Amino acid sequence: MPDERIAAGLHCGEVQADLTESLDGRLSRERAQRIEEHLLECDGCRRLCDEIAAAVRAVRELPQEPLDAETESRLFSRLHG
Amino acid sequence: MVEADDARISDETLIGRTAAGDLSAFDRLVRRHQAAVYRFARAAAPADAPADLPEEILHDTFATARRMAARYRDEPSARTWLLSLARRALDRRYPSTGREADATSLRELARLAGQGHLAADGAVPSVFESLSPEDREILTLCDREYFTLDEAARVTGLPETAVRTRLHRARLRLLARLKEDGHAG
Repeated sequence: MPDERIAAGLHCGEVQADLTESLDGRLSRERAQRIEEHLLECDGCRRLCDEIAAAVRAVRELPQEPLDAETESRLFSRLHG
Repeated sequence: MVEADDARISDETLIGRTAAGDLSAFDRLVRRHQAAVYRFARAAAPADAPADLPEEILHDTFATARRMAARYRDEPSARTWLLSLARRALDRRYPSTGREADATSLRELARLAGQGHLAADGAVPSVFESLSPEDREILTLCDREYFTLDEAARVTGLPETAVRTRLHRARLRLLARLKEDGHAG
């Protein structure tokens, strides 16, 4: 994956460092716009961005299992013991 | 009737009643958050820790919450407060947790994460489990609990800037691991 390319005035390395902030919507409007322009021109960074987003979605979709009954029973026994 | 009303009682009310000695309010608070506290403790516990460490953290967290309920204030949420207590319990029981430094540069992590192709499959849980406790912890807070950086910073005791960096690195490592573990298309 290229990391020295310049697109929309930004190096790939700069963009890659900001991808989490970009995905989470924490960048300033101006910075977000510049990142977006870079992603439109750079296939490598766009693919990395899409894949990080997919990995984050996968973690968010992990099952939120309830506490099993035995552990809960032991917990309450100790808390009230 | 009690169960139907449960969701309408705020965490703050339950904590206030707990502080006043209402055991049934405390029990409700525990049931509401026990799975999240246990999930966090499992995520943040190192692989070489005793198998019962998450359960010990679960107990310590709620025992402390009951004792400290009267001092609950200025917290973003009860969940943040409880996971902060869990983090402190983990630090007490397993002091080395969360201190591991990773010298891999961000550029190298991005390069590793950029290699290969990502294919969706059902192996995400095992890949998540294979990450370091530090990565699992920050991903649990920010991507499973949807905590803000400020909330994650409160729980971990790290500066917000460090949380931001740790989250980005954890996501890159997660992506790289998903690919290298044979899930590439």
